[in-house]
Amino acid sequence: MIAAEDEMPVGKRRSSLMRSPQFSSLVILVVLLAVFAIADANFLSPLNISNMMAFLPELGIIALGMTLLLTAGEFDLSVGAVFGLAPVVVMLLVQNGGVDIGVALLAGLLLCIAIGAINGLIVTKIGISSFLVTLSMLLVVRGAALYITQGFPLKSWDQPGFFVTLLAGSFNVGSFRFYTSLWWFIGLSLLAIYVLRYAKLGNWISAIGSNRNAAVARGVPADAVKVWLFILTSVLAGLAGMISAFRISAASPVAGTGYELEVIAMVVVGGTALTGGRGTILGTIVGALMLRAIRNGIVLIGVPGLAYNIFVGLIILAMLILHALLQKNAARG
Amino acid sequence: MMEVLRLQNLQKSFGSVRALKNACFALKEGEVVALLGDNGAGKSTLIKAISGVFPIDRGDIYVRGEKVSIRSTRDAMDLGIETIHQDTSLAPDLSIARNLFLGREPVKLKWLGVFAPLDFAKLRDAASALLKRVGISKNLDADALVSTLSGGERQSIAISRAMQFAAKVIILDEPTNNLGVEETHGVLRFIKEVRDAGHSVLLITHNIHHVFQVADRIIVMRRGEIVAEQTVADTDLLTVESIITGADMSALLKETRAK
Ligand SMILES: Nc1ncnc2c1ncn2[C@@H]1O[C@H](COP(=O)(O)OP(=O)(O)OP(=O)(O)O)[C@@H](O)[C@H]1O
Ligand SMILES: [Mg+2]
Repeated sequence: MIAAEDEMPVGKRRSSLMRSPQFSSLVILVVLLAVFAIADANFLSPLNISNMMAFLPELGIIALGMTLLLTAGEFDLSVGAVFGLAPVVVMLLVQNGGVDIGVALLAGLLLCIAIGAINGLIVTKIGISSFLVTLSMLLVVRGAALYITQGFPLKSWDQPGFFVTLLAGSFNVGSFRFYTSLWWFIGLSLLAIYVLRYAKLGNWISAIGSNRNAAVARGVPADAVKVWLFILTSVLAGLAGMISAFRISAASPVAGTGYELEVIAMVVVGGTALTGGRGTILGTIVGALMLRAIRNGIVLIGVPGLAYNIFVGLIILAMLILHALLQKNAARG
Repeated sequence: MMEVLRLQNLQKSFGSVRALKNACFALKEGEVVALLGDNGAGKSTLIKAISGVFPIDRGDIYVRGEKVSIRSTRDAMDLGIETIHQDTSLAPDLSIARNLFLGREPVKLKWLGVFAPLDFAKLRDAASALLKRVGISKNLDADALVSTLSGGERQSIAISRAMQFAAKVIILDEPTNNLGVEETHGVLRFIKEVRDAGHSVLLITHNIHHVFQVADRIIVMRRGEIVAEQTVADTDLLTVESIITGADMSALLKETRAK
């Protein structure tokens, strides 16, 4: 009897891990990878893997911020627009304004902080839903990017330097070619895992998303935490935009269009609850890998280009249904 | 007996609604005071003002004879006032242990501020010890999510959380709401234990029978004002009921004033 009771937690923990959303997402990811690999041998070729790994961090970095924000019960639709605006502003300052690249990057950073702070302050102090606030911000930011460039992409950027190497340098491992952005993604992921699961701040973030009033009643500065998370998400979107612009040596005012939904899809497919309170960075990493693999894999297996989104949408829907069913099961059991 | 909390002429309006007009009362050490009144009388508003949920418009609050200003929930907690609100208490997606220490997490490397890592060993041990002391340890795992608990279990967790920081004043807003018979008795027993441990309790409830089981004193509110104050030993159920509903007010007011 005593032995049985001692056994309980381990067994319980194992089964709860198996039933956790991250785990089911991981299983699906593995299945997807296997299907694509069998359908097309090129899927796991060094070139294709390198390709996927080049794109992964750009959306993945934004998804990390979005996971924390969603866990606190808010979300940000302006990330795609910020992804486009930040590099456009930085490169305009350098190319037309003759500003030093370091100073221009600092200006870009301040711009992202300002956008995030405005989002956060309006949501928390005035009490308008983040959907409406950040949707409006999306239009403002995208409009600004189009207006200051007159709609044209900026001429290519071909001055290598410290910052380019820092954000978009590349290196070879055997026949794989990786970008430094992968290190950024890994580093930021580890930091996000630490914060959400092990730090005091993570406890606050989950509590705010789970029951804001309860958190406030315990002295948790809910509004301040949310404002900082909006700022973080905005800054990460700008960082991802810079990485992308340096990698392809160009900045376009329409870059990142639609990224907000793709990023939110990554996060919820990974198992983070859209309603707040339950967030998982590991799940988001799996979600980011999954969406990347799907986009890449369906091209390889020959789905016609215009039909991509049908598949992407269906797979996301299937994932969400699976999470919902698991959730129901867990609640009943 | 020492006075732990005194409210003087508290006022609070929400737009044109005067939720609190001139509320005055005192709470002594180790006593249970029941705050009664019909829906919308201003009971929750009163305790939210004491616990720092929102600032008061006018009036003074004294804790142990010293005038204090309570501007945030943190201020109230630091003064030893712990509140269990009617509409909010726990975060369902967090574990019992994390809820028990929410806002006062034990951490290592304190200098890291909000980025400091939680001290999980301490968190678990303290949570288990507390659950044991409260007597609800039998089948509750400190790591279980609060969303998996019953209403009564949640209420007990919220009350034990208020107890753990040795609060001087524990305020309970309708703690037995939605609870079954057994859970209700648990909560009432709990209140007595809390009092016996030297804490003062301010209890808001609509159940007058509970009042007569645990309270030492009764305060009745109507439309934002305190209209009567009675010792439980000196009154009875029917009298209290008529004060709450406002029947025969004049006679009772006289009685109250005479004291
Ligand atoms: N945040 C608020 N904004 C506007 N009016 C409010 C607010 N909170 C309370 N009120 C009003 O103040 C009055 C007192 O409300 P309060 O919640 O204190 O009542 P109560 O005595 O706790 O009632 P109940 O027994 O139903 O819980 C009510 O008329 C209520 O509508
Ligand atoms: Mg109330």
